[in-house]
Amino acid sequence: MIPKIFPRNLTARAAVQLVGNPVTSRLESAVGNCFPGLEFDHRNLDRRFFVGLIFEFTDVGVRLLGVDLNDPDLAQGARLRKMLAGAAGNKLRNDTWFLNSISQGRTTIAISRDLGITVSWRLIHSLEPGRITIELSRRAEQAGDRVPADTVVLTGNRRTFVGSTGVISTAYAPGELSQSLCSPWMHDFRDCACFYWASNHPDIVLAEDPPGEATLPTGAPEDPVLALTPIDWLRSDRKSTAPAQATEDANRRGQIDHYEINKRWQDLGIVLRGREIDGIYQLQAPENANPLSTPDALCEKLVQLATLEHAVALEYLYAMYSLKDPATVKDQRLIEDLTFARHEILLVAVSEMRHLRWANQLIWSLEHAGLVKKNFGPSLGVEMQIPVAPDKSRPPQLPPIPGPVKTRPASLRPLEPDVLQDFISVEQPSGYLDGQYAQVLATLREKQFPATLEQLAARIIADGMEHFSRFKEVQVVLRKYPASKTYIRPITPAPADHPGGKAALDLYHQILAELQAAYATGDMEDAAHIARARSLMFQLSAQAEKLASEQHGVAFFKSQPAAPEKTGKKPARNIR
Amino acid sequence: MAELVVLRNSHLPPMTPVLDACLPPPIHLLPGDPPMVFLVEGSRLFETTPEYFDELSNNPENVQRELIESLRVRNANPAQLPLPAPTAISLNVAQSCNISCSYCYADEGRFGGHELMMSRDVASASIDRLLESNHGQRVTVGFIGGEPFLNRPLIHWTVDYATNRAKEVGATVGFSVTTNGTLLNSEDLDLLRAHSFAVSVSLDGGSEVNDRERHSRNGESVFERSVERLRPLLRLPGRARITARATITRLDMRILERITPLFESGFSEVGVSPLRTSPREELALRHDDWPVFLGEMVRAAEDELQQLPHLGTLRFSNLAIALKQLHAGYCKPLPCGSVANYVSVSARGEYFTCHRTVDDPRFFLGNTSRGLLSEPRIEFLRARHVDTQQPCRGCWARYLCGGGCHAEVLSAGRSGCDYIRGWLDYCLRTYNLVLREHPSLFERRN
Repeated sequence: MIPKIFPRNLTARAAVQLVGNPVTSRLESAVGNCFPGLEFDHRNLDRRFFVGLIFEFTDVGVRLLGVDLNDPDLAQGARLRKMLAGAAGNKLRNDTWFLNSISQGRTTIAISRDLGITVSWRLIHSLEPGRITIELSRRAEQAGDRVPADTVVLTGNRRTFVGSTGVISTAYAPGELSQSLCSPWMHDFRDCACFYWASNHPDIVLAEDPPGEATLPTGAPEDPVLALTPIDWLRSDRKSTAPAQATEDANRRGQIDHYEINKRWQDLGIVLRGREIDGIYQLQAPENANPLSTPDALCEKLVQLATLEHAVALEYLYAMYSLKDPATVKDQRLIEDLTFARHEILLVAVSEMRHLRWANQLIWSLEHAGLVKKNFGPSLGVEMQIPVAPDKSRPPQLPPIPGPVKTRPASLRPLEPDVLQDFISVEQPSGYLDGQYAQVLATLREKQFPATLEQLAARIIADGMEHFSRFKEVQVVLRKYPASKTYIRPITPAPADHPGGKAALDLYHQILAELQAAYATGDMEDAAHIARARSLMFQLSAQAEKLASEQHGVAFFKSQPAAPEKTGKKPARNIR
Repeated sequence: MAELVVLRNSHLPPMTPVLDACLPPPIHLLPGDPPMVFLVEGSRLFETTPEYFDELSNNPENVQRELIESLRVRNANPAQLPLPAPTAISLNVAQSCNISCSYCYADEGRFGGHELMMSRDVASASIDRLLESNHGQRVTVGFIGGEPFLNRPLIHWTVDYATNRAKEVGATVGFSVTTNGTLLNSEDLDLLRAHSFAVSVSLDGGSEVNDRERHSRNGESVFERSVERLRPLLRLPGRARITARATITRLDMRILERITPLFESGFSEVGVSPLRTSPREELALRHDDWPVFLGEMVRAAEDELQQLPHLGTLRFSNLAIALKQLHAGYCKPLPCGSVANYVSVSARGEYFTCHRTVDDPRFFLGNTSRGLLSEPRIEFLRARHVDTQQPCRGCWARYLCGGGCHAEVLSAGRSGCDYIRGWLDYCLRTYNLVLREHPSLFERRN
């Protein structure tokens, strides 16, 4: 403790009361036995039970490892020290010696070669403090060899391990008590992975790019395959970027081995955010989006963004109803997964609807503050071209490659894996939507706009961040099922003359009419219309569920475009 | 948001101050007499000498590291996994309200939907679920709404049901209720007394202040009506514990003037909350309001401290709770028990992260018939852990604040962080003074 600080509250007082090792690290409170996987291996303590000697517990008896004349506790036993430094010690230093018996008081215990490690250790461990006499006998190094029979008898103190101050005897060299335990510099560490013991190192990681290759600002290699392929963290060939295998057994051959790791642990990679790193981290300047030039340009952007929010909300809803109704399946795991997936998708869809409302509120507010030259809203159109990530293999943490926005036609599709991938693509962080709202936010930060509008735009951005990860979670949950038909009902948009489909579309148009009225009124005066729209949404939901049970979905889009457009933008189609 | 990047082909040695620049601040310095230093990890508060304080301020890196190493400060515990089942639930027994508050987050109890009353089936299923994983433990059942006493019969029935069921499994059950007080009758008061209810009464101040934002349907004063109904309980609380809780809008941020009439009406504990999100945005505090609000909090606290010698206790619960937590070294990476040990049940029987997020699909956690979903709970807490958030990660107050109410942060972002730091800074200094002058305030009472 530093003497210049004085603890005040309870946690501070607790911190400075702990002089020396905390109680949980003391031998008496450790979880210990004779296995190296625990906090403490008692054999490491009892190997020096007799002052001046070091033993090893082996399958064939308690073997003498060496004589330690530097043992500080020999200071109390001049006679023993003399013996160990003289003829007896010389004998023991040569040839192979085993413990034969121990006498304490009137009891003598024979330590025979067939007792086994744990029994002989327990006999030694239960010796009382005080004088003991031990007998060692010479044995052949290898079975069959003959050596002259000989014994050495020594009398000394059974070691007390700790002194009066509670400090462990300095006879133990640094690392001696913890040798063979699961520590990074001990070879058992290599096995402390997910499949065996508490996982305190990563199994697989993403690779840092090889020297000389292009690196992106995130530290990821520019090559998307390298950026996304997990490699084995324990690989022996540190330069290898070969993909990790699916099983421990398959990876085992190429990994740093026991013993090898004792010398090479420092070669293992530091891992940050799942990726190996050998450079130094530095803070990156915050991203700055360029503000739009005029309030009118801002409104135009918002009108366009609202149509996009609207379109993706409809795509998500359609896909959600393509998932089987959990009430109609029996498998408990599937019930849970469907409940989860439907809930997550609904949540994103609802969030998009909220964005639609907020975007319209922004438009309304700009109009009513007299900041724009004409009326732009309400914007309830549906964008028929949805931006996509330029490259599906491109890692989501990477910024988009500059260039014209690629799009795909908006379409109503069941939630097949590739459809889900499309959803992930539009929602990815720093993707199209994020970037657009960042621009809106940058514009609203300018002085001419009321502060509340900036907060509203910030809210949309904060809200959107989670869509990507929610879809990714759905992907993880559904990936378990090899065939998508396990969880999907193959719905198709209901034909125009289908009575149920027509009823659903009527409800949808009524909802739009209510929202149109609400957004036109604006501010807080729209409550009645919003409430009616909300109640209609519940009816639409029930109708969509019913349709889906008949393998149909709500035909939100009048017609799905035939061919995908590669780049550029089409004007939004207005509903009204 | 600041991102971390790798400096490639750099010739810098492996350990440089650059690395430290990315780390959250380990200490917070409090100049004054005596100067103090607050260790973020473990929320440890120390007094120090002016000389050492100067060393810490002027040569922060080495001296701070030496201090931290000497105290063997370890990292805060991450959220524990797997998650144990919650020990507390709130039941939204009435998703409806008899009064109308202009700032209500709950849409007058309806949470954006229709008025709903909880059924006995839902209440009993919730209690059964709560108790099934808490045999022999202490559990808490809260009643919330809307105005819970609109569903009076269910509250009485549920208290009876929960008490009996708890006995069967060796658990003990405590109760709480959040109410506007206007509907309470003498049987209700007996129930609250007999079952040691923690009663939280929503009142914003005296009649004039309170009735400005909290309106009755028939035009009578909500304040007068509430206090009239509560008076017998305030006089004879029995085993009940009654707190008033005031919502502060930006239209009137005078706190002392709000809490004083509540003390005069007989409340022995009064707490306040600033309005951060509101359907009427003009009521919620804005960026420029927070310094004013902080000033008002300190003014109210100073007044309370003046009275401490003769009252022997602190009635302003924001101050009282903060000092108690600082004394104990409160240090949590989350703002509240929501999701981890507390969830809320809607009238329909669905679980949500807390009483503020009822019927919001973003916060859905399963239903009482199939049980709580574990995956969303784990994911929610993982994502909300304060060390995973910015700007929290870089804030010295993060383990005291916990990162702000989940419901508010997720719907409106963070605001007023400077206020929270200012208030905690004030409370740390005040704690040290109170500890010196009134140590008995912190003695454990059995």
